[in-house]
Amino acid sequence: MRETIRMTPEAQQMKQLIAELIRRPNLVIDENTALVSSGLIDSMALVDLLVKLEDITHMRIPPGKVQPKDMDTIALMFATAQRVGKPRK
Amino acid sequence: MKQWHTLVDALNAAPGDRPFVTSWIDDDEQDEVTFAEFRRRARVHASLLLDQGVAAGDRVVIVMPQGIAAMTVFAGAMMLGAVPAILAYPNFKIEPAKYSSGLAGVAANLAARVVVIDEEFPEDLLGHVSLHDSSRLIRAGRASDGGSESELPVAGIRPDGLAFIQHSAGTTGLQKGVALTHETVLTQVGHLARALQIDGAIDRIYSWLPLYHDMGLIACFILPMVCHVPLVMQSPLDWVMHPDTMLQVISDYRCTLAWLPNFAFQFVPRRTPRERWPQFDLSSMRALINCSEPVRASSMEEFLQAFAAIGLKRNALQSSYAMAENVFAVTQSDINDPGGPKCIWADSMRFRSEHRVATVPQGTPGAMSFASSGRLLPNHVVRIVSDNGEILPECAVGEIHVKSDCLFEGYYNRPDLTASVLTAGWYHTGDLGFQMAGELYVVGRKKDLLIVGGENLYPQDIEEIVAGHPAIHDGRVVALGMYNPNLGTEDIVVVGEVEREETLVDAAEIERELRSRVVAAMGVAVRTIILKPPKWIIKSTAGKPSRSGTREKLVHEHPEFDV
Repeated sequence: MRETIRMTPEAQQMKQLIAELIRRPNLVIDENTALVSSGLIDSMALVDLLVKLEDITHMRIPPGKVQPKDMDTIALMFATAQRVGKPRK
Repeated sequence: MKQWHTLVDALNAAPGDRPFVTSWIDDDEQDEVTFAEFRRRARVHASLLLDQGVAAGDRVVIVMPQGIAAMTVFAGAMMLGAVPAILAYPNFKIEPAKYSSGLAGVAANLAARVVVIDEEFPEDLLGHVSLHDSSRLIRAGRASDGGSESELPVAGIRPDGLAFIQHSAGTTGLQKGVALTHETVLTQVGHLARALQIDGAIDRIYSWLPLYHDMGLIACFILPMVCHVPLVMQSPLDWVMHPDTMLQVISDYRCTLAWLPNFAFQFVPRRTPRERWPQFDLSSMRALINCSEPVRASSMEEFLQAFAAIGLKRNALQSSYAMAENVFAVTQSDINDPGGPKCIWADSMRFRSEHRVATVPQGTPGAMSFASSGRLLPNHVVRIVSDNGEILPECAVGEIHVKSDCLFEGYYNRPDLTASVLTAGWYHTGDLGFQMAGELYVVGRKKDLLIVGGENLYPQDIEEIVAGHPAIHDGRVVALGMYNPNLGTEDIVVVGEVEREETLVDAAEIERELRSRVVAAMGVAVRTIILKPPKWIIKSTAGKPSRSGTREKLVHEHPEFDV
């Protein structure tokens, strides 16, 4: 519960999308919940997370610079956007 | 197309200044080689292999990321008369121990002289690699900045000598190395090049398909190499995370040909924001071929409706039926037909109960549609066979058997597996289909193979992992592929019986654990896990879980799966 309170509004938005994608209302996820490596999110859903991440951060995340492991947790997603994101044209 | 004796002859004859492979990573990052530079890098790799004692006939296993380096190692091995095989690169979801045992199994079955990995191959996986006694692990660089080329021996490659080995996916599939000779591969490429009217001076192929799969290896590496066609490729992962880049690459490079599994025809339009569509131009595409999963007319129509406004022509949408055991294609739709692949409508009741296709007018309530995979390539014959071995007439649904002049001779080192699928020159595909008016229609799998996102998965591999959980009744697990119309591909659905009914209160926890076990071992996510009380799964007369019986019961109890 504490984790949820500490989440930024951006992370909360991402968490909401993930909850919609995995459709498992009883599952509690936080910023460090493994999503891809645990099998909760499959490769074909990664694009939805990337598009959302680009929207939230106002960055473009170029292909070739991001791997599924960079999207495994909410915390990693935002770190990835910081690391490889380019300002939107 | 000229008749080459070997694949190496075909590569050597390519015009040196023509672009061959462009590895597209991003707008500002590409690696491009001409045929001359590709050959030079291949010779550098051949020299490296030669230094490691690789000689004609030796097997060379390649575990490298999608890209030019993996391809030049492959070609370099062939230049020595060695027999390369490309395997899937480990993805981060797979546990090192699981991955390594799979790799060791293949290397042992092939008795590979060397296993070639790239310079960035993960250290944690390396520690687990245990190889066959006579196999050696070597790292290959990109050979992009020079590298030494020693004098290569005259390999004396024979047309009837083995060219390479291609695998289907999964642990079970890895035991099936499809061994192919130069002349067999060249025969297939010749048929395909003529059917598609390929011209290396005009065409350009786009691909994100993995090289360890026949569609990626044959259609998007070997065919362009033999027909001297430029190729623009990206990694499957880059594509799946940015599906709109496919549209961008096709537009920027004016690509003319591409092969895609059925799901991609839905995935790309649904996952590319609509406001970006007008940035792209698909008018250069003359054949976008739906292959490797059963072809669905609705998926192709969705793609066409989305992108007709940006130049996509209806007759650019094509279909094909292909398998590694026949090198690649068995059929190809007629690229000169302005309407694209034929589509028919059939009475669904008769289809289900009589296993026959009785056509009805489009739009008839309850009718189901089937899209054709096209006509047989020259020197190909197909027969449709019932469960008791009877050859069925036109419009009847049964197993597809194939005979051709480019059929494989066997799985490498596995006469037992070969004998189970190859009788009197007929390959028993395990696919179900029917013939009508000279066209072949593929309706599904007999062998319960799951085809997820164009990848073949064997249900046994998943069932074994799930059955290993202490809460699950051993052997009482069924993994099924259920068609997901939203994705245009199959979802993996696993039904497992718990050992004791009271453990169902912990279903969520057991499910979470099973999910991570499957992903750790196989790298794929299970869409749905359904835990059931003891004795729920339908058994066959032999006492084994019946996939078809369990599927029917599941659909009855969970109508959401009935699509």
